[in-house]
Amino acid sequence: MTTPTLQLSESARAASASESRYRIDAPIRPARSARVVALDEKAAAVARRLAAHPWAHARFYTGDGDARLRELDGAAALLDEVLTGTDVVVVLATEDGGRAAAAAIGRICGRRGITTAGVVLGDGFEADDAVAALRPYARVLLLSADEADAFELLTALRV
Amino acid sequence: MLRKDINELLTRTGPGTPMGELFRQYWIPALLAEELPDNDCPPVRVKLLSERMVAFRDSEGRYGLVDEFCAHRGASLWFGRNEGSGLRCPYHGWKYDVTGQCIEVPSEADNSSFCQNVQLTSYPLVRIGDVLWTYMGDRATQPPLPEFEWVHVPPEQTYTSKRWQQCNWLQAFEGGIDSSHVTFLHSGGLKTDPLFRGAKGNEYNMKDTKPFFEVADSEGGLFVGARRNAEDGTYYWRITPYVMPAFTMVPPRGDHPVHGHFWVPIDDENCWTFSFDYHPVRPLTDTERQAMIDGHGVHSRNIPGTYRPMANMDNDYLIDREAQKRGETYSGVAGIAMQDASLQESMGPIVDRSKERLVPADSGIIKARQKLRKAAIALRDEGVTPPGVNPEHHKVRSAAVVLPQAESFLDSCRDAVKVTPGVPQASV
Repeated sequence: MTTPTLQLSESARAASASESRYRIDAPIRPARSARVVALDEKAAAVARRLAAHPWAHARFYTGDGDARLRELDGAAALLDEVLTGTDVVVVLATEDGGRAAAAAIGRICGRRGITTAGVVLGDGFEADDAVAALRPYARVLLLSADEADAFELLTALRV
Repeated sequence: MLRKDINELLTRTGPGTPMGELFRQYWIPALLAEELPDNDCPPVRVKLLSERMVAFRDSEGRYGLVDEFCAHRGASLWFGRNEGSGLRCPYHGWKYDVTGQCIEVPSEADNSSFCQNVQLTSYPLVRIGDVLWTYMGDRATQPPLPEFEWVHVPPEQTYTSKRWQQCNWLQAFEGGIDSSHVTFLHSGGLKTDPLFRGAKGNEYNMKDTKPFFEVADSEGGLFVGARRNAEDGTYYWRITPYVMPAFTMVPPRGDHPVHGHFWVPIDDENCWTFSFDYHPVRPLTDTERQAMIDGHGVHSRNIPGTYRPMANMDNDYLIDREAQKRGETYSGVAGIAMQDASLQESMGPIVDRSKERLVPADSGIIKARQKLRKAAIALRDEGVTPPGVNPEHHKVRSAAVVLPQAESFLDSCRDAVKVTPGVPQASV
């Protein structure tokens, strides 16, 4: 007569809480060298508040309506240079004014394989044109009334 | 990634925890009606939100959900005798009605009022559709009953199953708003599953493996739109509604029934996945219903007499590497439900989200976590009723549509994502 043995399967053992202790605990480097571009004045205010938080590599810009960018301190920045060396661009918009900049950013990002995410802030989607301009390029569009969503997105992306 | 303290907040649902209190604002599925099929049938052990209870159906057909343990010596009432309009502990004969009120203590004098002071904790248990729902919160704030379409269509138009999932509710639920995994993990099912195959929309799914996403607030939660290229000048949109705290619907395919899930924490390391299929305007065919019973689509084949899937972590989910090589399944695990569960359970009982590396395509998950966290804190600090409690928020549908590229899915699908009785689902 054989004695039944209680033998956990590989999956059952591996998924147990006790086995979690043996997961390799290597430090996680920031995953993204992000550029955050605010397309209008209200979005620029959001960008300034976001920039006040500590980030690893994220850099913040404002658009001036026709595809020229500025650093938050007002210094001019060339879009082409801003997008060099990045792998993700997060575009912030609250109204329709940034359509041209959105399209320019989207086109360059599309060509260079830079993932583009758009956060459109507002109730009732006052930024329909900006959304439409971003739609062909933005891998993700987050339409939200809550400014904190932009912070949460950047945090989750480890920028 | 998510900070460890926020991960703790979102994953712990026991009494007194912020997320536990959030869940206690809602009617949640507790059991399938089939588990209490007859008056005076055997009681059923139920654990929800880390509370152990027994459910029973008394001689008059009333449902009760009460503390599992007799107030006398703490014996389990699962051993109770369900008879004469109450559940009697077989140890010393104490008897309780469906409200948990003790109605007999045989050792006391016949005219004793002792039992009037003995009351087990109990929660309402109400049948709607094929599901018994409970509300485990403060009676003073008990909301109206749920209005989800799947439990309100005629019985011949709906089917619900449930399965035990051996991980925290949040990592199971997050799969429901993560549309980008479908093209990979479930690619085999799109071709072969009788509840999915044949739809025109499947072709768009398979041709365009890099969907774009739009995530927008709804009154009760979120809409997550996944967009793929369709014919010239058009996009194929799959729209997933999320109703807080843990209800999602899968966008439909062709005229197949529409399916979805409601995840309910059992404790912090286990949850129930309630899975449903329904058709808004026609009965399910015999073939469709049998496919659901056989574990196709979002359902699972369970070990007879249990709600544990036959493919589970104890048998390595019956993984078949040869079927994987042949292209029948993407992961080697058969069935949509267990393809999801195998990977979600593999993360461990409660995944450490501080180790994640999310990408923009995970925005639906990021946003859902944010909504849950905000709602739990607003409830805890200010007593704010969370989204999804109002039954009007339940009247949503998923949709699959082809739209001109310039159109917004939110604007174009306002009617499609609302329940309109007698109108079929918007599907491709």
